[in-house]
Amino acid sequence: MTEIDPDEYEGVWVFVEEHAGEVMPVSWELLAEGRKLTETTGQELVALVIGEDCEAVAEAALAHGADRVLVADDPVFEPYRADPYGAQFRAMVEERKPSIVLIGGTHTGRDFAGRVAVPTHAGLTADVTEIDVDEAGILQARRPAFGGDVLATILCEDHRPQMATIRPGVFEAAEPDPDRTGEVERVEVVVAEDETMSEVLERVVGDRADITEAERIVAVGAGVEGDLEPARALAAALDADLAATRAAVDEGWIDGSRQVGQTGKTVRPELYVAVGVSGAIQHVEGMNKSGVVLAINTDPNAPIFEHADYGIVGDHAEVCHELADRLSGETPELIA
Amino acid sequence: MHDFTVVVGVKQVPDADEVGLDPDTGRLDRASAPAVMNPPDRCALEAALSLKDAHAARVIAVTMGPPMATPVLREAVAMGCDDGVLITDRAFAGSDTWPTSLTLARVAEHLDADVVLCGEETTDSSTGQVPPGIAAHNGWAQLTYVEALDLRPEEGRVVAHRDVEGGYEVVAADLPVVVAVAFGSFEPRPAGLHRKLFAETEFDPRELSAADLGIEEEVGLAVSPTSVGGMETVQPVDRQGEVVDEVDDLLGPIREAVA
Ligand SMILES: Cc1cc2nc3c(=O)[nH]c(=O)nc-3n(C[C@H](O)[C@H](O)[C@H](O)COP(=O)(O)OP(=O)(O)OC[C@H]3O[C@@H](n4cnc5c(N)ncnc54)[C@H](O)[C@@H]3O)c2cc1C
Ligand SMILES: Nc1ncnc2c1ncn2[C@@H]1O[C@H](COP(=O)(O)O)[C@@H](O)[C@H]1O
Repeated sequence: MTEIDPDEYEGVWVFVEEHAGEVMPVSWELLAEGRKLTETTGQELVALVIGEDCEAVAEAALAHGADRVLVADDPVFEPYRADPYGAQFRAMVEERKPSIVLIGGTHTGRDFAGRVAVPTHAGLTADVTEIDVDEAGILQARRPAFGGDVLATILCEDHRPQMATIRPGVFEAAEPDPDRTGEVERVEVVVAEDETMSEVLERVVGDRADITEAERIVAVGAGVEGDLEPARALAAALDADLAATRAAVDEGWIDGSRQVGQTGKTVRPELYVAVGVSGAIQHVEGMNKSGVVLAINTDPNAPIFEHADYGIVGDHAEVCHELADRLSGETPELIA
Repeated sequence: MHDFTVVVGVKQVPDADEVGLDPDTGRLDRASAPAVMNPPDRCALEAALSLKDAHAARVIAVTMGPPMATPVLREAVAMGCDDGVLITDRAFAGSDTWPTSLTLARVAEHLDADVVLCGEETTDSSTGQVPPGIAAHNGWAQLTYVEALDLRPEEGRVVAHRDVEGGYEVVAADLPVVVAVAFGSFEPRPAGLHRKLFAETEFDPRELSAADLGIEEEVGLAVSPTSVGGMETVQPVDRQGEVVDEVDDLLGPIREAVA
C-alpha cells in the first residue's frame, strides 16, 4: 500500500486541455479558481500543458494566472490519447509532487483523470461544483449527490495529489493579462510512440460552441421532435444561443457541445427558455443558476414547470413562433 | 470454442425514476426506491452482445456488490450473457473508486478478458472513473464515450467511435481493452423468453471473494483515498412556478429578464 507524507506535496496544478493548439475554455476557469486556492495556501499555481508545439498555449496560461507552466511537448501527445498522457502525468506527479490537481470535466478531462488517479493512488472527486482549501492544504471538494438534493464534501486526507474534475461553466474565467510573466519549463518526455496502445485514426471536430458564457439561451428537448426551426426563430428574436437536453443531443439534432446538464455544461444566462424539455434532474442541475427560466411544454405536469419562473402549456412550434413574432417587432429596444 | 472473452461490469442502483418523497421530511427518499440495473450498463451489455453476434465471443456479466445485487446478473443473462459473476465480500465495504476498479481489474484478469465493457457512469455515484481505473490498474488501453465498436481480431485491436467535444474521433486500441460506452448509444435488446426463463429458474451466479482474487489487503475503506467529510442539504432554487395562459403574458417577464 502506498504510504506517503502529505507534507512533501505542494502547489496547485491545473490541467490545460488543448487540442491542436486550441484550449478548452474550462482550463481558464480552473486557473482562475486555482488562483484563489493558492492565495490561501501561499503556494504556486502551476499550469500543466501536454501537447505538441505548445508555446502559445503556455504563454496564454501565464496570462490567465499561472505562476509556472510545465510543458510536455512532443508529437506523441497530439491528438490526445489516454495512455501516453497518463504515463507522462504519472512521471511528473512522482517527480514534482503536487498537492492539488484540477481537471476540466470534459470527455477528455474525465478520461484522463480516471486514468491518472489510479497509478498515483490519488483521491479523485468527480463533478465538483465548489472547492475550498484550508490552511493545512486539505482540499474540500463539494459535489451534488443524491440527485442534487445534498452537497457532499469529499476529502482526501492521507493521499496525494488531491484531484477533482469540474464541469465547464461552473467557475468563471479571469480576464487574461498579457503582461503577466512567469516561468515556462519544458519537462522531460517519458513516453515513446512505440510504447503506446492506441492510435487515433481520424478526428472530426466541427461546432464546438461555448454556451457557458451565453446571456440568453433557448434550449430544446425531445419534445421538439427534430423540428428546431421554431426554437431557432425564437433564439434569433432574442439574440440567444441554442442549447439542448441530452435526449436532443442523442437524437443527433444538435451537437453535444451544446448540451446542458450533469454530463454537459453548466450555464447561467439571464434568461433560459426550455422548449419541449421535461425537466429531468440531470438537466436542471446544469441550468438552475439561470436568472429567469421560462418553460414551454404540452404536458401541464412536466417537472420543468417547477423549475421555471413562468411556464406556458402549449405546442413548441406555435408558442415559439408567436413569441418570436411579438419580439421581433420590438427587438432593437428589447435587446439593446 | 470461444475466441474472445468479453466481461461487462453492471451495477445495481436505486431507480432514479421511482425515488419517492419522504412524507416526514418532504425530501427525496432513496432508501425506499426499488433497486434496478444502472441504465447506462444496459448499453454496455448491448455493445457486448453485439460483439458476440459478430464474433465467437463469450460474454460474462460481473457485478461487485452484496448478494442482493444478483437480479442484475439475472437480467444480464436474460439479455443473452453466457454467465454472471457476483463479486462479494465484507472486505469490500467502504470501497471508493480506487479499490472498486482494482477489484474489477483483477476479475477481468481472472476471467481472461479481451474486452471489458462498462457503462458511461453510474446514476448513484456518477463518477465515470471506474472504467479508466480498471484500465490503469491493469496497464491496458481504454476508450471512453464510445458510440460504435468494432472488434478486429486479425489486428488484435478494437476500433471505436468516441464522442469528443464538438465532434468525434475514430480510435484503434490494442487488446485487452476497457471500453465505456456512451449512454444512449447502444439500444439495449429485450430479453428473449427462453433466456429469461433460464435466468430466473436455472441460473446461479458464480461467486468470487476478495481472497479468491488475492486482494484482501487492497480493498475496502482503508485503501480508499477519498472520504465523505460532510453533507449539506441544498436549498432548492426558488422559482416562481407561474403558468400563464397567453403568450403575451410571457413578454413582460422576458423584457425584465433581459433588461
Ligand atoms: C448518467 C446520466 C446523465 C445524464 N446527463 C444529462 C445531461 O447532462 N443533460 C440532460 O439534459 N439530460 C441528461 N440525462 C438524461 C435525463 O435523465 C433525461 O432523460 C433528459 O434530460 C430528457 O430530455 P428531454 O427533456 O429532452 O426529453 P423528455 O424527457 O422525453 O421530455 C420531452 C418533453 O417534451 C414535451 N413535449 C412533447 N411534445 C411537445 C410539443 N409538441 N411541444 C412542447 N413540448 C412537447 C413532453 O411533454 C416532455 O415533457 C442524463 C441521464 C443519465 C442517466
Ligand atoms: N460495483 C460495480 N460492479 C460492476 N461494475 C461497476 C461497478 N461500479 C462501476 N461499474 C462499472 O463502471 C461504470 C462506471 O461507473 P462509475 O465510475 O461508478 O460512474 C458503470 O457503468 C459500470 O459499468
